[in-house]
Amino acid sequence: MRPEQSTIQPLEITVLVSVGRHPTTGRARRADQDARAVELARGVADARVQLMHAGGKEADCESALRGYLGMGFDALTLVEQPEGADTLPALAEALRGAPPQLVITGERAEQGEGSGLLPYLLAERLGWPVVSGLAAVESVENGVATLLQALPRGQRRRLKVRLPAIVTVDGAAPAPRQSAFGPARRGHLAAVPGGVTVDEAWANWETQPARKRPKRLKIVKAASARDRFKAAAAKAEGGGGQVLTDVAPEQGAEAILKLLKEEGVLR
Amino acid sequence: MLDTLLPILIFAALGLAAIGAIRRARLWRQGRPSPVPVIKGLAAMPRRYLVDLHHVVGRDKVMSNTHVATAGGFVAAAVLMVLVHGLGLAAGVLGWVLLAASATMFVGSCFVARRRRQPPSRLSKGPWMRLPKSLMAFSLSVFAITLPAVGLLPEDFGSWILALALCAVLVWGLGEMVFGMAWGGPMKHAFAGALHLAFHRRAERFSTQGGEGRPSTGLKALNLDDESAPLGVEKPSDFTWNQLLGFDACVQCGRCEAMCPAFAAGQPLNPKKLIQDMVVGMAGGSDAAYAGSPYPGKPVGEHQGTPHGPIVAREGKALVDAETLWSCTTCRACVEECPMMIEHVDAIVDMRRFLTLEHGNTPNKGAEVLDNLIATDNPGGFDPGARMHWAADLELPLMADRGEAEVLLWLGDGAYDMRNQRTLRSLVKVLRAADVDFAVLGNEERDSGDVARRLGDEATFQSLAKRNIATLSKYRFQRIVTCDPHSFHVLGNEYGEMGGQYEVRHHSTYIAELFEAGRLHVKPWKGGGVTYHDPCYLGRYNGEYEAPRNVLKALGIEVAEMERSGFRSRCCGGGGGAPITDIPGERRIPDMRMNDVGETGAELVAVGCPQCTAMLEGVVDATAEVRDIAELVAGALTEAPEASAGADRQSSNRPQAVEVA
Repeated sequence: MRPEQSTIQPLEITVLVSVGRHPTTGRARRADQDARAVELARGVADARVQLMHAGGKEADCESALRGYLGMGFDALTLVEQPEGADTLPALAEALRGAPPQLVITGERAEQGEGSGLLPYLLAERLGWPVVSGLAAVESVENGVATLLQALPRGQRRRLKVRLPAIVTVDGAAPAPRQSAFGPARRGHLAAVPGGVTVDEAWANWETQPARKRPKRLKIVKAASARDRFKAAAAKAEGGGGQVLTDVAPEQGAEAILKLLKEEGVLR
Repeated sequence: MLDTLLPILIFAALGLAAIGAIRRARLWRQGRPSPVPVIKGLAAMPRRYLVDLHHVVGRDKVMSNTHVATAGGFVAAAVLMVLVHGLGLAAGVLGWVLLAASATMFVGSCFVARRRRQPPSRLSKGPWMRLPKSLMAFSLSVFAITLPAVGLLPEDFGSWILALALCAVLVWGLGEMVFGMAWGGPMKHAFAGALHLAFHRRAERFSTQGGEGRPSTGLKALNLDDESAPLGVEKPSDFTWNQLLGFDACVQCGRCEAMCPAFAAGQPLNPKKLIQDMVVGMAGGSDAAYAGSPYPGKPVGEHQGTPHGPIVAREGKALVDAETLWSCTTCRACVEECPMMIEHVDAIVDMRRFLTLEHGNTPNKGAEVLDNLIATDNPGGFDPGARMHWAADLELPLMADRGEAEVLLWLGDGAYDMRNQRTLRSLVKVLRAADVDFAVLGNEERDSGDVARRLGDEATFQSLAKRNIATLSKYRFQRIVTCDPHSFHVLGNEYGEMGGQYEVRHHSTYIAELFEAGRLHVKPWKGGGVTYHDPCYLGRYNGEYEAPRNVLKALGIEVAEMERSGFRSRCCGGGGGAPITDIPGERRIPDMRMNDVGETGAELVAVGCPQCTAMLEGVVDATAEVRDIAELVAGALTEAPEASAGADRQSSNRPQAVEVA
């Protein structure tokens, strides 16, 4: 480390990582999106990256968590939580205890509830801004981060956000590096006790394997290769969508409810 | 005057050589410990030299005889010179023998000089170019100083000028042959080579009085239980001391370079240069003094290393670039060809282990394949439950149902590959035609771990191996038969160290046995010319060259051999994870192999390996078709001539619905 380190304050980043689940075999693994979040954090200049996980310490969880350590980390903070606990309060508490400037997470967990709501709820609790679907963190200057957000079909939007903030990564973020066995084995799972909030609703839930959702068929009436290409490249349009701006919350909610009923999501 | 000068010269040279030898040995001792039987090894050394080493050298008759004359003459002359001129025991026959020895050495050195006139590109130049002159200087001067000793010339022949001139030539000869041997000159190969033979890491590969040596090709396992043990080789000093000694034995003959498929394809690998780089690293310095062919596309002089510095830098350049290590197909052509018995492949995999296990830097698709192996037990990331889909209609007996069988058919990951499924179906057909009692593991089978191990991921290999061994231990069978030489090698040669001892047969070996037992009946071959491609993992790794040829003979096929066949077979480019790491070169290895096939004029090339099939079939505009031996046999099957065979088959309890071609 160079002596000027003391003058430049490193950017404190905490990456929230979860135990993933392989889509074919269901084995525990490092979750793809969380691994991308780690990779994104590693790519930020002058940053000090910490890993944090809230959950158990069972053998398969541990091997999955060690997968993140294998990306070149000495330690991972493990906020110990029993099965069925709501990890949100514990995470919020741990982050408030030693607040980083930037929290990076994946979009959603690969198992459990996997609602993708955690970053938003966490941001609400901490009172921080949240930015979803990042492709890159371009720079951080004077407490303001310049972020590149991924939009559909390769579009990008540059955003500036005041830190501290919570961001989530998109599939367009750089692919995670290989997890190496040596650092994974040596790394330390630093367990810290966390407050336990039992998720009572979760206990009553019944889980079952997800069914494949029906997909809207795209009917292509193309006579030429050019038409077929255009059809393949075109965005899937549901048609009949509407953009609501400057409406009262009730109106918006009504519109959403109406759409959900039309789509058969709610009956 | 010579009488006083000669002993001084000789003992001075010997003394300096002793100091050099100690310094050299200290370089080797930087390596990690590796226990060897010292006395036994030294005792076995002459036999290893005279039998095993000359078995390799003898493939080139001229060079072999040259070496016998030069080296034999030198050893005899050196010993006698100490006795005659050093200790003054000139009396009687010794002097005459010394004359003969130095004359023999001179004749040998003339042949060395002749080869050095227009040296093939595989030979190193630089200091090696002066070696024939040094050999001549030594042999001639020893001859000349011995003439007065035996009385052929008067004691005071010539003037003191002549004597001084003679001494000067002798000093040159002694300098190269005795001093240079221990201080890193070209003759180092004799000193280090002899000790390398004595303390070789794979003593079992050498013949003993009891019989031939056996192929010792399985990689050595890393101890993963000991957390402080290094994961592979990061620095030159991470090699074992006898590996370092082996590198130092290199004579830079370049036979490895001439055989290396990656070098021929213009990929940045040259086995000779790699070994020399290890020597550079061991002693510390730059590779600028290297005088042989460089790694294709990489100029000499840009790399340097130290014994305790990294071999491969995370960024920038160190001793060797990572892509050099990843170019290797682990085909063992270099090891097979090396007269100094250097184990190149062990060293390369040792260094790959560090890159994968510590750096996490397996190139290209490597990381993805390893992740798949961890998550799905097969390199393609396919559903483990879909492993038997190819055989949905074959009603293959499962070990889980049967519990025991004579033959356990190991399918390998080719079960997911549509091309290899044709081979597997053919093999099943052949086994059924011969009424073999066999069963498969089905979905309980996992990848053998071959690719993981060659890519350096010893942890994943050991995990797969342990689980496979646990599965295999549940069932009773006499032997494992597989159509994948890679699985064959791993199951047969590498699972032993993990606690699984099996009798494994390649399908060609097993089919040859079935033919010999008269259990297969085939119609005569009507196709065109056929050649046979030896898979590296069947031939060089396991010494099986005959069985596939016997099977083809039994089919009535006369094999038109390629120039490079048998132990010199050229790799298809598919081994060692090379298609996964995919280091670019100027040519493709399988293209070169299909050219070899084309040169025989054969319309069909018989293979015995799913990797070879895939690589050779991937060649565009090939002149020959690619067929697995099992496919050829299955295509030629016919009913047994007598009725009794048919009745026999009725009684067996296997399913009666048999596929008809």
